Amino acid sequence: MRKVAIVGVGQTRCGRRDDVSFPELVHEAVKEALEDARLDIKDIEAFITGSMPAPMSGINAPHLYWADAVGAYRKPIIRVATCGTTGGSIAHTGYYHVASGLFDVVMVVGAEKMYEGDPQGVMTTIWDYRYERPFLAGAPGVFAMQAMEYIHRYNFTLEEVAEAAALLSVKHHLAALDNPYAHIKQEITVEDVLRSRIVAYPIRLLDICPISDGACAVILASEDKARKITDTPVWIKGLGYCGDEQLLADKDLVWWLSAVKAAQKAYKMAGIENPVKQIDVAEVYNPFTYQELTFYECFGFCSRGEAVKLVKEGFFNKDGQLPTDPSGGVLCTNPIGATGLQRIAEAALQVMGRAGKRQIPAVETAFAHAMGGSYSLNSVFILSRSK
Amino acid sequence: MGEEIEPRIIEGALSLPYRWATGPVGARFLEGLKNKKILGTRCPKCRRVLVPARKFCPRCFVDTDEWVEVGDKGILRTFTIINFSFVGQVRKPPYIVGIIELDGADVGFTHFIGGVDLTDIEKAARELRPGMRVQAVWREERKGDILDIEYFKPVRE
Amino acid sequence: MSGRVAIVDVAQTKHGAPYIRNLTVSDLVYIVVKELLEKTGISIEDLETIITSSSDFWQGSGCSNVFYFDAAGAYLKDSPKVEEDSALGFVYAFMRILSGHFDKALIVAVTKCSEAPSISDITSLNSDPFYQRPVGIEEVTAAGLQAQQYVSRYKLSDEIRAEIAVKNYRNAINNPYAHRRMNLTIDEVLGSEILAYPLRRLEVADGSDGAVAVLISSEEAARKLTDTPVWIRGVGWSVDHYFLGDRDLLEVVSLREASERAYKMSGIRYPRKQIDLAEVCETSTVQELLWYEGLGFCNRGEGWKLIADGVTGMYGELPVNPSGGVLATNPYVARGLIRVAEATLQLKGEAGRRQVPDAETAIAHSTHGAAGSHHTVIVLGR
Repeated sequence: MRKVAIVGVGQTRCGRRDDVSFPELVHEAVKEALEDARLDIKDIEAFITGSMPAPMSGINAPHLYWADAVGAYRKPIIRVATCGTTGGSIAHTGYYHVASGLFDVVMVVGAEKMYEGDPQGVMTTIWDYRYERPFLAGAPGVFAMQAMEYIHRYNFTLEEVAEAAALLSVKHHLAALDNPYAHIKQEITVEDVLRSRIVAYPIRLLDICPISDGACAVILASEDKARKITDTPVWIKGLGYCGDEQLLADKDLVWWLSAVKAAQKAYKMAGIENPVKQIDVAEVYNPFTYQELTFYECFGFCSRGEAVKLVKEGFFNKDGQLPTDPSGGVLCTNPIGATGLQRIAEAALQVMGRAGKRQIPAVETAFAHAMGGSYSLNSVFILSRSK
Repeated sequence: MGEEIEPRIIEGALSLPYRWATGPVGARFLEGLKNKKILGTRCPKCRRVLVPARKFCPRCFVDTDEWVEVGDKGILRTFTIINFSFVGQVRKPPYIVGIIELDGADVGFTHFIGGVDLTDIEKAARELRPGMRVQAVWREERKGDILDIEYFKPVRE
Repeated sequence: MSGRVAIVDVAQTKHGAPYIRNLTVSDLVYIVVKELLEKTGISIEDLETIITSSSDFWQGSGCSNVFYFDAAGAYLKDSPKVEEDSALGFVYAFMRILSGHFDKALIVAVTKCSEAPSISDITSLNSDPFYQRPVGIEEVTAAGLQAQQYVSRYKLSDEIRAEIAVKNYRNAINNPYAHRRMNLTIDEVLGSEILAYPLRRLEVADGSDGAVAVLISSEEAARKLTDTPVWIRGVGWSVDHYFLGDRDLLEVVSLREASERAYKMSGIRYPRKQIDLAEVCETSTVQELLWYEGLGFCNRGEGWKLIADGVTGMYGELPVNPSGGVLATNPYVARGLIRVAEATLQLKGEAGRRQVPDAETAIAHSTHGAAGSHHTVIVLGR
């Protein structure tokens, strides 16, 4: 099988980007990635794009709207979209473009302009129009139910889980201060989190990601090309993608089978048997603090029901045994169509050793995750310095 | 499965508010319209003048670096006469849409064509021909959007 | 690349059939996936990846594939969604098999146009909000601009345009899956009302409801699953500029690019000679002529001759759209994969009354975007 490497990444500054149009925002990330890989647009053979459901930006078929901005004139372009997982899904698509042997150098581009539309209104349309749509208010309402189920499943008190969630929020907000692309840059305390407004009980404002405008581009290359382009290719050693049932109420959202299986598949391909030992840093897709606890368990970072305790012990801190989201994660930056790809770009920067102030020392292997759909789709990548 | 029930239709609508950013280049172009100016930008590489003004050239993939005012007259490249309705349609059918090659621009500009009697569509179509000269008809009240030009009308020169 | 990839079999709904209106998008997906599994004798457990294709605006659902995820048999599988054009879903599945990671892949595509606003309502949202949307650019308007340019530049007659419609609706009579199956006269086509001058109602593809599924596999797997594999010989896809004004709507550069890529991969040098039939995505009559030209069946401006000489008729030397094409059947996002399915049935010799005799090589073509801004070309062979 053909090996595929990441050879360059580009990210825009995220936040409210009223200063640029949607194609211009995309263009920024594309330019950054080309510069990062020291490539010309002529070198890119195909483009893979994605964003949230098109009603989010109010433009249908946005790959056509972006075509000139990514430099795709007369070249292959494709749009893949799976809600929050989009960033992961387009990276999978890019991987198969190269792994197929049809292409040697491709660019994957994800972007969102969430301040231009009504994100929660759009996300409500994911739910079944007959059975679930009237009840499921945007994302926070659903995650709140998931949080309650987690607390109940393992007989926690709300207070002990809320504290762990708050610790995660503080940790990510602190990390985001070191990330030049991050949206929310604000130092907060555990008390700030626990006193912030309840948005959907038990979830508070500081447990929740923002909406952001932003774009991210990642360049993938075949082995031959990657060696010529860079001295620090980041190899895609494993990838996994898995989907669960449509209806919210059908699924187990504490032990997410789609997350468990996506990780298992990626681990198997990458030869990972002990994730904590073998993974040096993880960029987990973490729009909600409580949800993040469930992901740690599903990915085998700890056993079931153990995440609360480990968070309190600092296991996932920057100097802990398995540092998570040194970028500040989704909790601080969330242009959804780009968010999953940002996890991959950030993990790649860690492996390249070019993550600046957010660098974790001596990263050999990194984990990157994305989640979306009706909380049903999960994507996992394992990136490594060695093939 | 028991008694057959006639399947039903549930009616719904998606109506969402948007606020789209023009970007600085778009903003300057639209501001130009307010002042009855049609502005393009020139690609430093292929030298084409692009209208509406672009931040970058879609072919050369480099930033444009020069503002150019183009004419509000040009030649009609092609047209169509619309005789059906759809949601969000700006004008009531029938109406004419055309692609215009503005004087001084190197790409086409899409807009309405007006000043033509449309009571008989086929007769109106015979009055129009690609290659004919057209000129912008500006609105009195201009707000800085593409409809500050009401339409382009055929002109004899 | 690791070996050859084959289409094992295909399944489609009776597009636009009245009973389909009462079924959900999910029901349609379930029907075609079940039928395809039965036909090929595999169970859902044998599949690891299912590529879906639909559109959120068309379906009125964010993440439209989630709605029919279970119906596609995708539970706990690797199942993404390729938007807007299911021919791209097909090429993605093809790449997955080529990579060696999967030995089988199912592609399923669906749109229920009867549930959605009109094609014009939706495609006006394809236009940017600043420059093209306010002046009414959507698919039919763009097709009108393109058609008028063709008429002016090449002096195309009304009759030739009408003949394209007559041919396709008539071919559809032989296709049990087709939606609009009609025996029309040229006068009837030209007598239908003007939609976007010069185009008349019967020259523009209206929507349909329908779903289609295709199973592809590695050569090794295909040999076990079917006696009549259809080989994927070449693929190409490409995009044109976004603004209509930046393009020459008659140059169809992205189609030329896509077909060059597909022909190079499949070793086709003389398309007119080497291709036995084509299923193309004509959303208007004039587009069928432009696609002939872009696919290299004739020179620029000479597409009309193929119609005048009957070359692309059912009994011509290169039949185009024996299924009736998109004028007859247009479940928007699914139409590209339907072209693949129809070309496959021809090469398998299972096309019934619409069978082109001894078909060895066929083209499936798809397009989306105003005046055909994005094109996909797939070359299939026996």
